[in-house]
Amino acid sequence: MKKLIFTLFLGASTLVLAQPDDLTPEEIAYRDSIANLNETNAAIEKSQKAYNAGIELFKQENYTGAINKFSESITSDPNFTPAYYNKAIAENQAEKFSEAIKTLDALLAKKPNYAKAYFQRARAYQGMNNFLKAEEDYKTSIDKDPKNPKAYYNYGTLLFLQKNYEDAITQFSKTIELNPDNAYAYNDRGSCYRMLGKYPQAIKDYEEAARKNENLAFVLNNIGTTKTKMKMYDEALKAFNRALSIDPNYYLAYNNRGVTHMKMERYDDAIKDFSEAIKTNGSYSAAYSNRAGAYFKKGEYEKAKKDADKAIQLDPKNADAYVNRGMAREMLRDMEGACEDWNKAKELGSEIGKQYNSLNCSN
Amino acid sequence: MKKIFTLILAFVSVVSLGQDVEFKGSNFKDDKEGFKTALAEFEAGNEAWELGTQAVFTVKDPEFHYKKALGHYAKAYAFNPKSAELNFKMGSAYANLTNKVKCIPYLETAYSLNPETHHFMEYYMGYACQLQGKFDDAVTHYKKFEAAYKKADRFNKFVKQRYSECSSGKKLMASPVRAWVDNVEILNTEYNDYAPSITMDGEEILFTSDRPNGHTPDENGTYDDDIYGSTMVNGKWQKPAVLKGKINSAVDDICNTMSYSGQKMLMSKLNAAGNYDIYESFLKGATWSEPVLFSKDMASKNNERFGAYDYNDKFIYYAKDKEGGTNGYDIFVTGPEDKKTRSYSLPTRLGEVNSRFNDGPIYLHADGKTMYFCSEGYDSMGGYDIFVSRKEKGVWGKPVNMGYPINTPYDDYFFAITANDKYAYIASNRDGGKGGFDLYKVTFWGPEKDPALTAEDYLLASVAKPIQDPDIMGGVKVTTSANLTVFKGKTIDALTKKAVEAVIEITDNKTGKVVETFTTNSATGKFLLSLNSGGNYGIAVKADGYLFHSENFDIPAGSAYNMVNKTIELKNIKVGSKIALRNVFFDTGKSTIKPESYPELDRLVKLMKDVPGLKIELSGHTDNTGSASGNVTLSQARADAVMNYLAGKGIAKSRMTARGYGSSKPVATNDTAAGRQENRRTEFEITGN
Repeated sequence: MKKLIFTLFLGASTLVLAQPDDLTPEEIAYRDSIANLNETNAAIEKSQKAYNAGIELFKQENYTGAINKFSESITSDPNFTPAYYNKAIAENQAEKFSEAIKTLDALLAKKPNYAKAYFQRARAYQGMNNFLKAEEDYKTSIDKDPKNPKAYYNYGTLLFLQKNYEDAITQFSKTIELNPDNAYAYNDRGSCYRMLGKYPQAIKDYEEAARKNENLAFVLNNIGTTKTKMKMYDEALKAFNRALSIDPNYYLAYNNRGVTHMKMERYDDAIKDFSEAIKTNGSYSAAYSNRAGAYFKKGEYEKAKKDADKAIQLDPKNADAYVNRGMAREMLRDMEGACEDWNKAKELGSEIGKQYNSLNCSN
Repeated sequence: MKKIFTLILAFVSVVSLGQDVEFKGSNFKDDKEGFKTALAEFEAGNEAWELGTQAVFTVKDPEFHYKKALGHYAKAYAFNPKSAELNFKMGSAYANLTNKVKCIPYLETAYSLNPETHHFMEYYMGYACQLQGKFDDAVTHYKKFEAAYKKADRFNKFVKQRYSECSSGKKLMASPVRAWVDNVEILNTEYNDYAPSITMDGEEILFTSDRPNGHTPDENGTYDDDIYGSTMVNGKWQKPAVLKGKINSAVDDICNTMSYSGQKMLMSKLNAAGNYDIYESFLKGATWSEPVLFSKDMASKNNERFGAYDYNDKFIYYAKDKEGGTNGYDIFVTGPEDKKTRSYSLPTRLGEVNSRFNDGPIYLHADGKTMYFCSEGYDSMGGYDIFVSRKEKGVWGKPVNMGYPINTPYDDYFFAITANDKYAYIASNRDGGKGGFDLYKVTFWGPEKDPALTAEDYLLASVAKPIQDPDIMGGVKVTTSANLTVFKGKTIDALTKKAVEAVIEITDNKTGKVVETFTTNSATGKFLLSLNSGGNYGIAVKADGYLFHSENFDIPAGSAYNMVNKTIELKNIKVGSKIALRNVFFDTGKSTIKPESYPELDRLVKLMKDVPGLKIELSGHTDNTGSASGNVTLSQARADAVMNYLAGKGIAKSRMTARGYGSSKPVATNDTAAGRQENRRTEFEITGN
């Protein structure tokens, strides 16, 4: 509204100015075209200033601020497509996925062959868990720009999340082909192999990722958990130790090393690790649930129950915690409570909960 | 310092206890009269005690004699508690009775007064130690006894068994089995409570007790055994009650085993000749029938008891002794020659599960390949222990002790287990009970459980969320009942929801064979049986006056125990049957149907739709208050309203008539408010089908 008043005012003043002068139609046309140009230039300048301010805010991770600036830029110059693109990226970063999609729809209406816009819109769809649309956009992005490793990589992660590991491997391999130093792609391909149960291939990829970038604690953690699955516990422990030397606050590695200790029946060591994970991340439900399992194995049922209680309080959907609390309750002679817990675990999809419930909870 | 005190105290007490005061006149010069009476009691006790001891030697029940002896001894003891011999005899009598735990203080006193008071003193002292789990001390005493006891009688057999018991007791108590054993207090008394038997779903229990029952006790004050029952409600046993029907008598009635479905039982009772026979009783509605005998091969001159049904309801296992025999009861099996005449073939002795001591009771698991039986032999840790034997290739395997704490050095016997192998019931006279035998519930922990462990990773480098890659579950130990599914349910009237007695036929659709035919309980409509998992079954249900009901169901195969619970609703179609619709309500004095009546009326609509040939008369009835003609008009309007409701739901009016009878057909007195309420009703009568 403010803008409209301003324009009207501008028009009125032109009229006011025109009246006393006696200009020829040519002169009037010339004068108006100059005025127009000046106006356009002013708008573009305004748009560009806002655009640059947006970039600054984006760099400071002030995504909301950046989005506002990019919007301002678009208002001033609706044809300035980079502002649309950046606005969409900022919206994706701020996890405002539906807004990002609107922005990118507008952008693609102006530039239908813009591969990167499809890529960003795919990200937005992925963020909204609309995997079907995301997949379409990644494919279009790859079609329009077959040399962009990022599109393959993201498409790969999308396929991974849909548990389509075989096809994800193809995408990650393509990423590696285009960008051989991409440690992430090696890690993620390794994870695909791991999910397919091809542990030696997984380890090979994880180790390559670790070579490409020595500072990735999560890659070493992945090596540890995969070696645990391979029952190579000593090597698993080494990998966790390396992960923790890179990132001493890496609570997942403590938790996972604890799980490995459990497999090795070293319950005291396991308890130490779970406690360390809890110390680093006090709201990590899994570590409490796991420590409950360790106490259970040691026959310390009260402690097991207390930890499982805490795990459930932190995450009421932690099925494993219900399984473990049920076990502790059974040994504390609370069969009714045990069965309630196993039933809850079963409802949350736990196979082990289902088994314990069916074997123990009817007469 | 404390220790010194204790030592001094111990010394003092030994000195005071240490004087064996024999039943001699010279010891009681001050109270000659008292002594005379006490001596008479002591001697009368000795007479009974000798008879009891003879029974022990021949593996016969010494209870009556020893109880009689103890009755006399108690009086002698009140006069002179310091006789080693008296303490020994009382202890040895208790050691052979159900209240074994009482033997310990007497035997210990006797031993401290005079370890040589009787040539069996070392033996019984050993036994007192064994009961307390002091197996090494027990062996020391038994050895002393053996070295001194030079008689070439059969008692050596007992001593050998005691050595074996101590050896297995040490082993078994060192590695307890994964189970809890809890006293079921609500079912127990200070008397003998034993012989538990349960339905497969663990919700009904029968047991035997010699608690006071209003009959005349014997001269020892012991009442005869009667059979009691209890039901589980919300996981808790209710207060037990003596069974209804003609099952219990003034002699011992002892429950052996109930069929898995709880509809019949084998029991043993004393016959006129004074020995035990096996009888069968059937549950009709809520009452148990008068027990009936089997043919003569199963009702011989010997004692027969502890009958057990086989999984297929064909064979009967039981324990039998032999006149003049010295090995007590042995386990036999017999099959029917003619079920109608209750004629059973000559029994066969099961060589694989019989020891040189008393064997039985027996319990056969519904899986058809597991036998639990009790024995005083094998590697018992003392008294009766419970053993399990599994059938492989048609042969019963070597009996395996169920282990501590299910078994103890005391008597642990009888066994009944739920279909999922989680709970069992036993009887035991172990220390800590209410007295004599008590019923105990065994809760099996099952195979050791593994906790569920969560490992999380950043499997995707770019997804800032840890992802779980759960381990595939390890296999579980498949229980022996894994291939069994308990199929339970009830047959009820679809409209009134009341129990209906029905005949059910179950066919295995794969083989086309009828696998089960049975009648549901008339009082509860309940049935309970086990079927092999992984099959498709046809179920056909017939009940007099009800529409034939048939359906098809799968019993899924599973690694775990299954239970299928089914309620079968039967539709009443008998011409002439009248059903009151107790949940149909009208506005006062009007014929407007209240909305809370709809569920009941909709059930009637369903019945009419399910049985398209059904014709009914709807009738309205009032109480006798108000004018007769007014009542007829109102009841007619109400019957019409119900008919219109049904017609509105698509039931053809040609199948229905509506009549208002006013107060002309009362079903109860009109003199009371409750009666008048009964009379105000809507009814329908089946007029055709």
